[in-house]
Amino acid sequence: MRSITTRATIALVLGGVLTLAAFFGAFFWAGVPDFGFVRTAEQVDSARYKGPFEQAIDEARYLANYAGYTVQVEADGESVRGELVSADEESVEIATESGGVTIDAADFEAATVFGSEYGRPDWGQKIFYFHVPVAEISFVVFAFAAFYAVRFLMTRNREFDTKNRVSMEVTLVFVGLTMATGILWTKAAWGVWWDWEPRLTTYFILTLLVIAYFVLRNSVEDEERRAVYGAVFTILAFIDVPISFFITRLIPSNHPVIESGGLEGPMLVSFILGQIGMIALGYAIYQLRMGEVQLQERIEQAKTLLER
Amino acid sequence: MAGASGRQLRAMLRKDIVMELRTKEMIMSMGLYSLLTMVVYFVALSQAGSSFDPRDIAAGLLWLAFIFTSMLGLNRSLVHEKDQGCLEALLLSPVDRPVIFFAKAGGNLIFLLAVEALTLPVFGFLFLQGTQLDWGSIALIPLALIAGSVGIAGVGTLLATMSVNTSGKDFVLAMLFIPLMYPLLLGAVTATGGAIVGGAQGVSVFWTGMGWVIGYDVIMLLASYGLYEFIVGA
Amino acid sequence: MTEEQQHTLALEVRDLTRAFGVRKALDGVSLELPVGAFLSIFGPNGAGKTTLVKVLTTLLNPSSGSARVLGRDVVSDAVELRTHIGLISHNPLLYPDLTAEENLLFFAEMYGVDDPRVRVSELLEAVELDHRRLDLTRTFSRGMLQRLSIARALLHRPEVIFLDEPYSGLDPHAMDILDGLIAQIRDSHTFVMISHDLDKGLELCSHALILAKGRVVLYEPREAIDDASFRQTYRSTVGMGVS
Repeated sequence: MRSITTRATIALVLGGVLTLAAFFGAFFWAGVPDFGFVRTAEQVDSARYKGPFEQAIDEARYLANYAGYTVQVEADGESVRGELVSADEESVEIATESGGVTIDAADFEAATVFGSEYGRPDWGQKIFYFHVPVAEISFVVFAFAAFYAVRFLMTRNREFDTKNRVSMEVTLVFVGLTMATGILWTKAAWGVWWDWEPRLTTYFILTLLVIAYFVLRNSVEDEERRAVYGAVFTILAFIDVPISFFITRLIPSNHPVIESGGLEGPMLVSFILGQIGMIALGYAIYQLRMGEVQLQERIEQAKTLLER
Repeated sequence: MAGASGRQLRAMLRKDIVMELRTKEMIMSMGLYSLLTMVVYFVALSQAGSSFDPRDIAAGLLWLAFIFTSMLGLNRSLVHEKDQGCLEALLLSPVDRPVIFFAKAGGNLIFLLAVEALTLPVFGFLFLQGTQLDWGSIALIPLALIAGSVGIAGVGTLLATMSVNTSGKDFVLAMLFIPLMYPLLLGAVTATGGAIVGGAQGVSVFWTGMGWVIGYDVIMLLASYGLYEFIVGA
Repeated sequence: MTEEQQHTLALEVRDLTRAFGVRKALDGVSLELPVGAFLSIFGPNGAGKTTLVKVLTTLLNPSSGSARVLGRDVVSDAVELRTHIGLISHNPLLYPDLTAEENLLFFAEMYGVDDPRVRVSELLEAVELDHRRLDLTRTFSRGMLQRLSIARALLHRPEVIFLDEPYSGLDPHAMDILDGLIAQIRDSHTFVMISHDLDKGLELCSHALILAKGRVVLYEPREAIDDASFRQTYRSTVGMGVS
């Protein structure tokens, strides 16, 4: 019993220190990550289908809001990067280093806007050092929950059910944090609180599935049945994790993807510090909760023995 | 044992169909429910005027009706088994558990397809009159309906077997079913939308959507098949 | 296991435990029952009676220990064992929207009974329901449902019949009919009955078992039982203290 608390406390302190270090690294040492841009032309809109011309008009209208920003426009197979001068339904004007360029809306393919709506471009990007580790841990803890679910169904050992449940509780915590930080960043970078974009949508579904797990558990009377249903549903719900993780790499998405080699020096160090810190925090939360649940179970056990 | 399983599967399917033909409970409730949904759609769209192309939203509206209607049917089909302890009687007979799963899912699939076949022309009559339709690609819609319904019936049967044992059956089923159905729903709407819009582009969108749906069907049916034994054994 | 033993022991339960965490529905239950016996299981609510019957009828798996019915293991030989046992529950286990005949034919198919139609008519006659064979069971009275459910349980000629509080909810007339039916098949079958009715259970049984908190409190053949002290033991386990 004591060893669990000791380990959890060590993990908690370590996680806290490393996460703080990552914060300081991110704000005072590391540069601004060069991702997290908007790729409006490639928005996935599955319920309806639009021809390229119609889309281009939308694009230009949308771009008009970003005069003065750095943009990259792909048109007619080529890509032009520079400061946006103006945009309307017929043409887009960009000031590049080698002079002004006018692009016909009809040739328009995709546009990328760098920076954010606020006067301090890219400041919002700093949340990356917190948001990404949290999101990663939410997937990892969910994987543990699924692992314990399989183990439980194989052995019918109540211990694995408890681990499955506690893992799901930790998943809920991290999913909540991911959602909260994600929404803040979305507002800063995209100018909207929410966008039905593949990663956001699949992650929202994931959140609902984790909540549904607890709804299911709370509505089953019999303890063993509750455990079995919980385990089965964890496995079914886990199928959404790889979908959510890989979707930004499979279909065009606004959500940024970290590419290998995209991070270097101070940025990489801060990011790794944040990741290790968050793993330690996740482990600490898991162990602390586990200790509490085990204590409850021992009380229950003592009660049962007294009844006999 | 394969011969016995086939016989049991047929017996269970026949039993469900005989009961349904007698009471018409599921077809009636699901059919009327989907008609009511059409009325709600009309009200929901009443302020939109004629400034939009109904073909753009038709697929979404259709699957919305199907998903809610199917939950109604799924719930009922398992309440039937649970009511007088019939599921227990089935489990007592020398039947492999997956056979029960396939029989119940098969029955649900048949009723769901029947309701969809009734809803589709009504929907077209109410919402798509006067729009340009490409009949060649419209003919692909049944494929999307079948592929989508296989997933709904399979996963739905598994989830309904769980939710029927919970307090607050309907709500629990919706809470489990809708998020889990999201990938399938997205694929099915994409495919159906492509078929309604038509043209070469529409047909290619159709097959992309079908790819999602079929992939989801395969994964989810395998998972449901593997997990059903645990559910009924608990 | 020799051929002879298979035919002499209907139930062979060894150290059977069914537990989830610290909660034990069955805690080290061991007993043997010869073929042809009538076992009555008594005990307060939550004593593990239903769990024991569910394990013996292959509906639940044991957590540890083993149980054999007619020499067949309830886990490894489950599918085969199911063809040798029948269950009559207080729930009719029949589809209300099928006729009496359709219900029986359906279950006959599930069990793979030879000549299902002949067997079904035979049983409908035996339970005196042949005049209602084409009526939906939804329209049946409680007693008729119970009779039909007996016919359903006997379809595949089971050797061991489990009765889960078969008398609950029956009016006196239906009870008499059920008594008559059980008497008819009493000699050719082994019975395991859960009962809350001490008089009824004692009257029918050849062996009596009292369970409490998942453990065997008392297991004796009928001859060895002194009625008065048995009642006393039963009351003390039920923990009511009232007579």
